[in-house]
Amino acid sequence: MKKIILTLVGMALIASYALAEELEYFNVYRPTEGMSADEIMRIKYFNKYTLFAHDVAYTGKAYFIDKSGSIRERGTARKRINLGRKSDGIAYKDLTVFTGPTQVKGLCSLSWTYLNPKRDQDIWVWLPSLKRIRKVSQAASDDSFLGGDFTVEDISTRRFEDETYKLVKEENFPGYTSDFKKETYYKDTPCYVIEATPKRANWYYVKRLIWIDKNYGTNIYDEKYDVKGQKFMTLFRWHEIYNVNGKEYPIQIYLEGKDLRSGHTTEIINETVKIDQGISEEELTESALSRSRW
Amino acid sequence: MFKRFLFIFSILLLASRFAFAEIATENLTIAGYFKNETSLGLRTFSGVSKFKNIFQVSGEYKFNEYFTSFVTGKYWYDSVYGWYDKYDPAQYYMQHIQRTDWLRDCYLDYTNGPWFLRLGKQQVSWGQADGVPILDKVNPVDFTEISLPDAVDLRIPLWMANINYSPKVNSNLQFLFIPDFEQSTAAPPGAPFAFRSYKIFMDSKEGIEALPGAPNKIPFGPLGTNYFGTLNTNIYYPAKQFENSKFGVQWSDRISDWDYTLNYLYGFDYLARTYLDSTQLTFFPTRTAVLNYSRRFKIDQMVGGSLNHTFTENGILKGITLRSDAAVYINEPTYYGNPATGKSEGVNRWNNVFWLMGLDKSVFTNWLVSFQFAQYIMEHDNPGVSNYQTLNSSTNGAQDAVENIFSLKISTDFMNERVKPEIMWGFTDDNQGKLSPKVTYEVNDNLWLTVGIHYFYGDKKDSNGQYRDVSQFYTQVKYTF
Repeated sequence: MKKIILTLVGMALIASYALAEELEYFNVYRPTEGMSADEIMRIKYFNKYTLFAHDVAYTGKAYFIDKSGSIRERGTARKRINLGRKSDGIAYKDLTVFTGPTQVKGLCSLSWTYLNPKRDQDIWVWLPSLKRIRKVSQAASDDSFLGGDFTVEDISTRRFEDETYKLVKEENFPGYTSDFKKETYYKDTPCYVIEATPKRANWYYVKRLIWIDKNYGTNIYDEKYDVKGQKFMTLFRWHEIYNVNGKEYPIQIYLEGKDLRSGHTTEIINETVKIDQGISEEELTESALSRSRW
Repeated sequence: MFKRFLFIFSILLLASRFAFAEIATENLTIAGYFKNETSLGLRTFSGVSKFKNIFQVSGEYKFNEYFTSFVTGKYWYDSVYGWYDKYDPAQYYMQHIQRTDWLRDCYLDYTNGPWFLRLGKQQVSWGQADGVPILDKVNPVDFTEISLPDAVDLRIPLWMANINYSPKVNSNLQFLFIPDFEQSTAAPPGAPFAFRSYKIFMDSKEGIEALPGAPNKIPFGPLGTNYFGTLNTNIYYPAKQFENSKFGVQWSDRISDWDYTLNYLYGFDYLARTYLDSTQLTFFPTRTAVLNYSRRFKIDQMVGGSLNHTFTENGILKGITLRSDAAVYINEPTYYGNPATGKSEGVNRWNNVFWLMGLDKSVFTNWLVSFQFAQYIMEHDNPGVSNYQTLNSSTNGAQDAVENIFSLKISTDFMNERVKPEIMWGFTDDNQGKLSPKVTYEVNDNLWLTVGIHYFYGDKKDSNGQYRDVSQFYTQVKYTF
């Protein structure tokens, strides 16, 4: 009897581990008391990549502000369709189009992200100067995203498996005041503070401190530290909660990244968000990319 | 002149700010640019060899979820051809945009489920190669500045029906029906980038038509005697008939993680070939000769395909993107003649092969390295006519039976992608090539500056070497709205 109970407990533990390992697409997950750092981070990544929704479409702007205050702007329109499809291993597909300024208008990328975390993305780019699609390799994870202060992995390629995690403490977030919007966000929001250490040796940071909203499991604030233990980058993310068919979806609306060494700041603002509008997979193909006009 | 340009440029710039600030609506988008391109010749064409001002505006209007129209107009004017007498022979063609070339796009898109139709004046790009047109043969090409401009400006748009059907998610069948015809254009002698073969032909014409005894008189006829000569050239365009239309088909699909296309193109080649039709000699009362040349377009076919793949799985190839194009040009007109004199004696119709493989990889965070290797393989080693060799059509120099072509491109960015340096080196196994470093700087969202050099080297009978005396330093100032 004891053996059977032990086996059932063991199975339950394995089952809960499996649940944490592979959160089911199109569900909503929230952190609960007693979760480990790994479990919390799995939910954080699930939310970051909006895997609760079938599809999401955004339009927005990115602003790049240098130390002197000079501002450059990029307009974007994005579509994502989540698949979580085991037959071809595709997790989700993204289509991102630059809508402005004119010099980059029409530049468009299609990326497929795979379930296998060790696998790179497949990426196709529509180049207006060639009026042609080019297959390209995934950008290096430590390259800057759009030339801003977020890296490529901060936005699109970092996976749960890339770091190890430790729950440092639980605290109320002191609030973040945006330099750009001059507003304070998340003041006194209960958070988990998790230390993430990259598995790669000699990476561009040695650790991140991550504040995770206890209510929704969203990553609201990061601090990155270099090999000397100095904080060199802060990343802030404001989420809004969208009620879709009775489910609450946390969506990133406003991101601010600051390079503390150069004084450069990046603002990413999603101006419109549409969720579960029935985006067809046909809209995220090479053929669709080749129909670009600009 | 420069002050006048700056004044006009400033007025236009201010006007555009007001004119276009309010014009964008939900369904209508308008965007465009003013651009100045200035070149300074480093050798023979010393001094300013280009001062080209370009204005382009594009408009997109979405009628509804099915129909969208797109129009682009472009105008340019190169002041250099009015400034200097040395450019007189090329002034007519090179000073301003020609005929209806100002209309770059004018089409209507229809999208409905698996169907996509694009009807109107447009350009279509096939293939994966950079700067080496293997499958990219749907549109004719503007060679007046050889391949230096962006590909989007090199292709000459044509009126066509571009019909697409996607039977499954990652597949597409494209059918092109092109009743329009334009020939590929080349710079006339007198312009920096005139083909050597064109210059030889025009020199020959002048030499034949010179008076007997003149220093540049070319002796021809029996025993090399001097004649009063006339060289007539007639160009015969394909008649505007249905059967002279061009047709193309492309099938795109994906097998495993490899994207491929199969391509077929049938129709008139956009480059005319020159034929000597007849020679009339008269001995009395004076020795006169009339040489009748014709320039004719020939039908050929292209059968080919492309392949690309990114190695995304762990392994030594991870992160490398492989691109490949291959084509057989069936019945491609191929010149033969004497490469020493650059004189063409005839045309063979051969089945030539052109293929390319490219590898791209990002290294050191944000350095992109792109390498390409291509081979142009002639069907035969020699033209089958004694004492003659196959000729390169742009230089009338000797054409290798197998031409090995290489290119290496390295690019990166600094200052949050504001500064983008790039170097492109294209070369062949004949010790000739082109080295093109450039830097682009984004002053602000609307103002972009580029400086660079095109340095050509090699034998004058080779495709890059023929421009070794027109290497140039250039600047580009682009204001977008």
